Amino acid sequence: MVRETNKYFKFDWITIVLFLLLVGFGWLNILSASHTGETINYFDFSQPYGKQLIFIFFTFALIVVLLAIDAKFYERFSSIIYIIALLSLVGLFIFGKNVNGATSWYGIGGMTLQPSEFAKAATALAVAKFVSDLNTDIKRFKDQLKVLLILFIPAFLVLLQNDTGSTLVYAAFIFVLYREGLPKYYLTISIIIVLLSVLSLKFGVTTTSIIAFIGILAFYFLNKKHTSIIQSIITLICCVLVSFGVKFFYQNVLQPHQQDRISLWLRLEKDPAKLKRMKQTFAYNLNESEKAISSGGLTGRGFLEGTRTTGKFVPEQHTDYIFSTVGEEWGFLGSSFVVILFVLLILRVLHLAELQKSQFSRVYGYSVAAIIFMHFFINIGMVMGLIPTIGIPLPMFSYGGSGLWAFTILLFIFIKLDSNRINEW
Amino acid sequence: MAVHEKGILNRSYFVAGCMFVFGVAVVFKLLSIQLVQGDKYRALAEKRAVKNVVIPANRGNVYADDGSLLATSVPKYNIAIDAVTSSTKIFEANIKSLCDSLANYLGKPSAYYQKAIRKARANGNQYYLLVRDINYTDYLRFRSFPLLKLGANKGGLIVNQQTKREFPMGEIAQRSIGYERFDEDGHVTRAGIDGAFGVKYLRGTDGRRWKQKIGKGEWKPITDFNQVEPKDGYDVYTTINVNIQDIAHHSLLGQLQFYEAEHGCVVVMDVKTGEVKAISNLAKTSQGNYYEKRNYAVWESHEPGSTFKVMALMAALEDKVVDTAAVVDTKKGVKRFYGRNIFDSHHGGYGKISVARALEVSSNIGLATIIDENYSKEPEKFIKRIKSWNLHKSLGVSIMGEGEPDVPEPGDKKWSKNALPSMAYGYNLSLTPLQTLTFYNAIANNGEMVKPRFIKAVKEFDKEIEVFDKEIINGKICSDKTLSEIKEILKNVVERGTGSRLYSPDFSMAGKTGTAQTEYWMEDWKENKRYVSSFAGYFPAEDPKYSCIVVIHKPSIKKGYYGADVSGPVFKRIAQKIFTDTPIIDEVQSLEVKNALTEKEHDNFYQTANMYKTIMPNVVGMPAMDALALLENMDVKVKVKLDGAGVVKKQSIDKDTKLKFNQLVVLKAS
Repeated sequence: MVRETNKYFKFDWITIVLFLLLVGFGWLNILSASHTGETINYFDFSQPYGKQLIFIFFTFALIVVLLAIDAKFYERFSSIIYIIALLSLVGLFIFGKNVNGATSWYGIGGMTLQPSEFAKAATALAVAKFVSDLNTDIKRFKDQLKVLLILFIPAFLVLLQNDTGSTLVYAAFIFVLYREGLPKYYLTISIIIVLLSVLSLKFGVTTTSIIAFIGILAFYFLNKKHTSIIQSIITLICCVLVSFGVKFFYQNVLQPHQQDRISLWLRLEKDPAKLKRMKQTFAYNLNESEKAISSGGLTGRGFLEGTRTTGKFVPEQHTDYIFSTVGEEWGFLGSSFVVILFVLLILRVLHLAELQKSQFSRVYGYSVAAIIFMHFFINIGMVMGLIPTIGIPLPMFSYGGSGLWAFTILLFIFIKLDSNRINEW
Repeated sequence: MAVHEKGILNRSYFVAGCMFVFGVAVVFKLLSIQLVQGDKYRALAEKRAVKNVVIPANRGNVYADDGSLLATSVPKYNIAIDAVTSSTKIFEANIKSLCDSLANYLGKPSAYYQKAIRKARANGNQYYLLVRDINYTDYLRFRSFPLLKLGANKGGLIVNQQTKREFPMGEIAQRSIGYERFDEDGHVTRAGIDGAFGVKYLRGTDGRRWKQKIGKGEWKPITDFNQVEPKDGYDVYTTINVNIQDIAHHSLLGQLQFYEAEHGCVVVMDVKTGEVKAISNLAKTSQGNYYEKRNYAVWESHEPGSTFKVMALMAALEDKVVDTAAVVDTKKGVKRFYGRNIFDSHHGGYGKISVARALEVSSNIGLATIIDENYSKEPEKFIKRIKSWNLHKSLGVSIMGEGEPDVPEPGDKKWSKNALPSMAYGYNLSLTPLQTLTFYNAIANNGEMVKPRFIKAVKEFDKEIEVFDKEIINGKICSDKTLSEIKEILKNVVERGTGSRLYSPDFSMAGKTGTAQTEYWMEDWKENKRYVSSFAGYFPAEDPKYSCIVVIHKPSIKKGYYGADVSGPVFKRIAQKIFTDTPIIDEVQSLEVKNALTEKEHDNFYQTANMYKTIMPNVVGMPAMDALALLENMDVKVKVKLDGAGVVKKQSIDKDTKLKFNQLVVLKAS
């Protein structure tokens, strides 16, 4: 019971150290990606690396505040926090500042704040509060609908601002709900739909239908006792319908630029001239970032030595494409190190969540892990070409005050909750 | 309850597992793209994709003593457009006005450019060349064209600059002006003034710029600014005088051609200051033409022959072992020294003559006798005197590749009983022409030996970076008595000695001829005799202004080989030209073989230059640099404004118009 005897050790220092390593290493890479001349003035606040230094400084202040607030506050005020977050998202439509064609920012003085970043933490609190309520049973359809509504409102507001990446993050909550007892078939169906979509787009409806038929047939023979022929046929029909639907959706609903992204990802485009044009236009970033990563080799080109990084080949490298800097300058060892830090952080948070005695803390912990994971998944996946291009920052790592502070809030609320678990019960 | 707990645990393991599996997947993907793809492939891809291109700094100019241009670097620009990079909105808004501007500038109809650029855009062409080799003024104009003025990323402007070195004076003194050349392996050849001062002054600091490969050997700058801006080199102001250089060059060329000589050189030096006013080195090519191949005057250390007799006699006079009136027996043209015969070129010999006369007629026996009789017991004394004049050391001139002199001394491998009498008439030792000239210049300069200089100053625009002053090697090489005696003899050489054929009552000059056998150690010498003809001296004889040396190697002996015949006339022509200022060029030109295009341009230039002194010549069709040099060297001082580079297309003042002082002449070139 070390945590009781020493107030400093009641916080989970492993998580904090992981957090600090990511922030620190992230800053070094922001420096690489954004420095312009041979001489670096660390306190040149007109440069991204200088600004990030200020952001990091305020982060520490924020941490102190977050840890000083009573743990009960977060649970008690979660609903209010959630509503404030929603209002801030709605307010964007009236007071928002237009940056690069998207009105996702509030301009305050010389600074900009992105409320969608903070809304994730607020939603996590709200979900935790709702799921942990004694009257809530997630196995009930009514409560499932309510949870969906809690998630849907912010996700929809963010989607209206053209922030596809942040919208997708809300899908992460399926892991949380699954852990809390959401029936298995939700996850199963989701996975099957994703699989069917990819298959339909890549190989066409016919091939997908044949694969589905074989799969269902195999399932039927393996589980003869529990499945009927009728059930199997209905499932097959659903699969074929989904396959058609995906194709239709892709061809008629998606905008051309979205189609292009998917077709590049699944390598649907065979015309070399068109592929070349794609690489010069929307896939330029991806192409450059892949090349930057691959040029890193085992040990990388060295800090501030990456040619693509210093040559400013990868646009937005200090924000969404920061991982390509790691790849080029620190090589396989450096990028693996970052991946390991993230995996360790996520698993650590999951582990701590499982240790929580209060359901609120546990659900919140799971939400934290899921949100960080989703960011990590989408960002790294995108930078390495594993998934289609979706703009989203790498948590703690990418340049930007809103992102850094949002993740600080997200994570340190949990660290505070975790430190308090001993006092509960 | 236990079952329930297990289910929950499985679920949390499933969630954690999913996340962990993704992490592993990322690491595997990294493994494949960063390591498995292979270093070689990656290096290749890297090399192809991007390079840090060096932007060479503009090399400084090289100027003559009066400020006229000898060598200059002219920046040339290629302008291309990346037809893909601009957005449709920007592209459509600007394409028409851009094509109008292009049509206005380049001449073809606007529709032609529009079609071509649109086609390039449709084909995804990221490098469509608009114009090649334009000058800076035009480059600025292109930068201001619609679309292009938006820069590299929005407008697709691609600019490539390269620098071309031009020699407005053509091949005159090209070797001495020099160059810096890099071969494919990066080995550098540096020659002349350009080579000597290239690294320190002319070169400047190169800039750097990132470029990205966009296809078949085409590189596109990534940004429209340079990562490191180039810093231009300083200008070097040489001591070369364009007029003297021109005379020297053409006189030497004519003489080499007439005598079908292998190579030769001429150096003219300002007596008081040591400034080299002209230096020309020419060698025969396999086709029989002559060009500036090596800097023989500086590089070639050879047996000087009779021109060294002056040093030998001066040593004896200064050591007071003889005086000029003493008698020396030169016998009947042959005398045996230590088992070896020494001959005089005059058949039958000179008999008993004075020491002074021995030098005037360039008697080998006479000089050998004087030196051997007085120094054979203590040859070190003679060598010491020679060394006191620094003849055993190279001059340390600024031009690279200076030849090492060789003055043997007792105890050396080369030393024998015969060494001393041989040295007396210029064998068994070697000097460079420039060293010999430096010594003769000291005689002309009342005993003060100054170091030959090729540059006066180094400037950055009008700011002086470094100024080079006169350097004295030896303040007084000998007594005034010896000086006046030797000067008298040198004057007599031309008036009544070996150089009497050069004598002209119109002007005075003093000097010493030299006719040395060369390669006499080779077996075929008897059948194919080879000589080095030289003449070293100064003019006017009474109050010397310039010193000069002419050395011509291996003239055709059928036509002549004596120093007075082969090299002397070059010397004489230079002296005559400087004195009388009569156009001598025509006379020289008649000897030239006019085959090369440069040669032709050159003739054109000089003919025009000599015809027009105060009236405006026709410079249309002339290289702009030539036209500039021509106008700036007219007798009437005019202001010339050059618009563009290349060949002159238009002149603001009509041909044959009388020019006024400080009149502005605008030349349009393309």
